[in-house]
Amino acid sequence: MKKILALIILLSLVLGVGMAGAKPIVIGVAIDTQILDGFATIRGINLAVEEINAAGGINVKGEKRPFKVEIMDTRDCEPGVPVSEALLVVEKTILDKGADFIIGPNRSEAALASLGLVSNYKKIQLLTSGALSPKFHETIAENYNKYKYAFRITGESRFMVNEAMDLLGGLNGKYGINRMFVLVQDVAFARAGGEIVSENLKKKGWEILGYERYPTGTSDFSAGLLKARDAKAQILFVMGDMADFSILINQWNDMKIPALPFGNYLGPAMEPKFWQVTKGRAAYTIVNLVNAGNAPSNATPWTMKFCKAYEKKYGTEPEGYGTSSGYMAPYIIKDAVERAGTLDPDALVTAMEKTNLVGVYGRVRFDQKSHQIIPSLDPAEGAVGTIFQWQDGKRVVVYPPKIAMGEIKFPQWMTEYWKLKKK
Amino acid sequence: MNVIVYGLINSLLLVLIAMGFALAYSVSRVPNFTHGALYVLTGYLTWIFLNGLGLSYWFCILLSIFCVTAIGWFIYQLVVIRVRGMPTSEIIVTFAISLAILELLRWRGLRGATYVLPVFHRSTILIYGVPVDSQRIMAMLITAVIVLALWLFTHHTKVGLGLRAIAQNERAALLLGIDSDGAATLALSLGSALAALAAITILPLGNINVATGYDVLVSAIAVCICGGLGSWTGTILAGFVIGFAQMIVVYFIAPHLAMVVALAAVILILIFKPSGLFGRQKELEERV
Repeated sequence: MKKILALIILLSLVLGVGMAGAKPIVIGVAIDTQILDGFATIRGINLAVEEINAAGGINVKGEKRPFKVEIMDTRDCEPGVPVSEALLVVEKTILDKGADFIIGPNRSEAALASLGLVSNYKKIQLLTSGALSPKFHETIAENYNKYKYAFRITGESRFMVNEAMDLLGGLNGKYGINRMFVLVQDVAFARAGGEIVSENLKKKGWEILGYERYPTGTSDFSAGLLKARDAKAQILFVMGDMADFSILINQWNDMKIPALPFGNYLGPAMEPKFWQVTKGRAAYTIVNLVNAGNAPSNATPWTMKFCKAYEKKYGTEPEGYGTSSGYMAPYIIKDAVERAGTLDPDALVTAMEKTNLVGVYGRVRFDQKSHQIIPSLDPAEGAVGTIFQWQDGKRVVVYPPKIAMGEIKFPQWMTEYWKLKKK
Repeated sequence: MNVIVYGLINSLLLVLIAMGFALAYSVSRVPNFTHGALYVLTGYLTWIFLNGLGLSYWFCILLSIFCVTAIGWFIYQLVVIRVRGMPTSEIIVTFAISLAILELLRWRGLRGATYVLPVFHRSTILIYGVPVDSQRIMAMLITAVIVLALWLFTHHTKVGLGLRAIAQNERAALLLGIDSDGAATLALSLGSALAALAAITILPLGNINVATGYDVLVSAIAVCICGGLGSWTGTILAGFVIGFAQMIVVYFIAPHLAMVVALAAVILILIFKPSGLFGRQKELEERV
């Protein structure tokens, strides 16, 4: 018994020393750490790295190497989107921090600009949050040889538009709802999202009653809300990541506007503490979280396991967009490195392209040309999104149907006003 | 009716925001660029006292107003007094302090929608069919009370009359034995207190974030320049002009042009009447 115990201790020491002595694989995280997308991503990454290192690290052709995370704040989500400063930070992450892999940046403008920079250094770049513009993966497909080192492991605005169309189509079918007012943040992804959804819904017979853009920092949404009320809107389509949208939700509830807020990306409303922040006025707000796992659901066996581990470590449910994709990033890297057996970038590109694993938000596979994660409404086939509604203090997943945990509800003042009944 | 009701609300909120800046400048001739930073700092301190120390809300409000007033006093006594009379240095120094405060708050994690203050009372009132939340109604009433209180203070108290004397003619006031630096310190402290009062009233409508500091400063400057630096009546009138103009543009043209209205008003005033609507800076007009 004593001999066995001594052997176990010796082996642990050897392995520990072996791993402690092994050169770490550095994940350079160059994102805006001040916004939800950013710090939620960092938390997800740190959780995954902790788990992977505790399990022995990454097996690179027989050698066990740990992950190390180096974080640098790009501040690319600030008003004005300082792209040049963000690029300096990305470069510094590579040169000063010795990053082997790059995660980030957030804003589409900065992410697009970083493609050339990161590919010059031949570093595998993963986008885990933000940068919802389809232009990112279209650029990779158009210039494959130049930008092949970049991958997006999360959804993008076109998926979100399709999901929105599907969900709103469902409401139209069930309740006859077909009148929408659009209120978006005055940034590229939100403007585009609002325009595309409006155009597509118009073709399906919806009435788009207004389209308003609000700059970051808006403190009063009364004009838009009153116009929506006077135009008899049934859906308020909201898109943006500014914290000021909490004011919109508060005002919507205070004014009892008989329209349901649908946030096809509504930054502040994603977080678990939003209910408390709005003192319950968030009730009935629908929010698109982009990837499953950003709120508890049973998308895959790993989803709830991740949610519970996150809650145990950070004292809160996964906080929003970026959490589950940030968590998956180290696992995807680990999987690719172990299959490639090397950190050679070109070999890693081939390995990444062959990725096929069931993660927190469904099956992870990439389009071979554009390196965009393949979406699906079925987690067994591809990466699924998540749309939830705030109900009684909880984020209840209502879409896609395969992973839904509840149905969409309406506030009493809206049901009475519109005499809503299921067809 | 939507435009009239919310235009009135918007105007009074602008007046509330600008009053502290106007008071500080009219007496001390120091453009207090820390105005926006002190506004945000008040909100943050109140949040800390409420959530970190668990004190009662009203006590937190009084305590944070006191703290910010004291900070205003220190800013003048330790920093601004050394560069008083050098306008460029005054601007640089106060703006630098503003940046330091706001970036320190950002570094401390002031971000997202987490930092909110409770409203005084939660209800919605219909004004001619237009729903208005009670916090906005209270903000309007508080603005009216503060304007009246300031008028009474500056017209019927010895200290207030002293401040007006300094504002009208500093040298003559000095000859009469009124301490210029003392008056300037008081003005900056009161200006800081007014910024704090504005914060306590308006911040519960949304959330506390760093960017608000810059927006508040720009709004305060725009209102004061349009009204005329040093003129109380001008500040109030300009608040209404800009407030209604913004609401009309937001409602009938586009919401993302709201700040453009304020900045366009500044440009137009500087071109056509540089001293402002009720400004007394004839030297500037003559020079232009």
